Amino acid sequence: MSISERTMSFGTRIARFRTNNASWIRIACYAASIVLMLGVWQALGNSFGVLFVPFTTTMKQLWVMLYGGPLLQALVVSGKLYLVTLAIDIVAGVTIGLALARIKLIAAALEGYIYILYATPTISLVPFVSVLFGFGFWPRVLVAVLISIFPIVLGVMEGARSIPRQHLDVAAIFGSTERQLWRDVILPYVTPHAMTGIKQSIALSMAGTLVAEFFLNPDGLAALLLQGSTIIDTAWVLAVTVFVAALATALVGLGELIERFLVLWRRTAVG
Amino acid sequence: MAAHSSRLDAATSRTAGPETKRLRERLAPAVVGAAFLAIWEIWVRAYLPDFVATPTGILNAIPSTISSGSFWLDVVASLSSILEGVAFGSVTGILIGVAMARVPELKWLLSSYIYALYALPLIALVPLVIIWVGYQPTTRLVIVIISTFLPVAVTTADGACAIPKEHLDVGKMFGARIHHLWFGIALPSAMPHIVAGIELGFARAIANAIAVEVLASVPGMGMSVFTKSNELNENESLVYVACLAIFAVGIRAAMIRVRRWLAPWYSG
Repeated sequence: MSISERTMSFGTRIARFRTNNASWIRIACYAASIVLMLGVWQALGNSFGVLFVPFTTTMKQLWVMLYGGPLLQALVVSGKLYLVTLAIDIVAGVTIGLALARIKLIAAALEGYIYILYATPTISLVPFVSVLFGFGFWPRVLVAVLISIFPIVLGVMEGARSIPRQHLDVAAIFGSTERQLWRDVILPYVTPHAMTGIKQSIALSMAGTLVAEFFLNPDGLAALLLQGSTIIDTAWVLAVTVFVAALATALVGLGELIERFLVLWRRTAVG
Repeated sequence: MAAHSSRLDAATSRTAGPETKRLRERLAPAVVGAAFLAIWEIWVRAYLPDFVATPTGILNAIPSTISSGSFWLDVVASLSSILEGVAFGSVTGILIGVAMARVPELKWLLSSYIYALYALPLIALVPLVIIWVGYQPTTRLVIVIISTFLPVAVTTADGACAIPKEHLDVGKMFGARIHHLWFGIALPSAMPHIVAGIELGFARAIANAIAVEVLASVPGMGMSVFTKSNELNENESLVYVACLAIFAVGIRAAMIRVRRWLAPWYSG
């Protein structure tokens, strides 16, 4: 053993060290990444004049804005838009997806247009939404929904189309009614596909909310961001950006948690 | 559903044969499209002010818009910036992605930030970039680069992580050097993921480029959509939107071709 260790090449020794201490190296790397990032941020913070501020200043600003400041009010405004958007995404997205999958004529008529609408950058449609519907809450919802609904529509559609013929045939042989067919075959089969779409929509609804707020008479979190950038208050903009990033990460994490829970549930339900 | 739909088939086939049905399905998009355009035209003429766009108005606006020099300046400005940014963002994304997949330490160092930024709607970064770079075309380029870099890096890392171990073992047995492992084995097997990442990046880059143009007052197609609309030139504005839509749809179709060409074994 000692001989082989002495004759081992440097590369092999490094490789062995890495596999033997993988979990420690991993923790060290995560710690180093946080320390490095904060250190660089703090060190560079003072060297760019008004264009950059240290990490501690940003956190102080965030604290000030959170307690008695405008951040929580903005969060309530944006949060309402976000939740209404997501709710409409789920209800309308699943309905449209099922209709496209189960009714051939609708699919033939609309599928092409849906893909074109999906590919068109929704932001470019904002001026027409404002001309037709104004700048209020519902026009904003419309823009946010147009940005975030498609993963659910397409996910449900593809899911419902991939139901194996045998499942439907078995249900038919055992004389299931239309209602039983939907309850016992179609909906359980489509649920995971819908969840994958909803997971994406949870993240996209946030993008949609911000776009709607930026371009239809600024409001909520987007208005805070714009306000800070017009007066070049870097600490302000950094604080709100960090807050929005934390919010976005939490929402994506929530989506992944729901999906993981669902996968577990499916496994226990099947076997 | 089989029974139900075949019962339905039987019912319809009594009145209409399968050929009539197929014809009906082929005609449906044209009918819906024509009906949509007709309702749009009539509704606007009957109830809305003159400046609101109509299908005939848009058709009439096409020649004058396309023959104007400012239109082509906008097209060149926006598309060159998008293509340049996507190219740069994709290449750096692929390199960082492969490196993250092959060197776990690098992945642990970078992943928190890359995933946090990936989760963040990039439009939220625009105000910060405006402060740093200014109300300039460079701001658009920076946002386009980040928009492509993040999805490409994440999908490349995912794809290059999921290589079958046997491939690497065989490579090592035949004395593959590190660049063979990275660019001969990891990169090709991540190819479908990379193309999917670039496709996603392209879509985000187009949307974010438009957003930057409006927020940072950078001349380009997206900016013109908004200014023409503010000048009550709705028809001309929609010609720009149509061009953007054609570009976006074309990119999507092209990426499907590229995936078939680069990764013919992958059908997903």
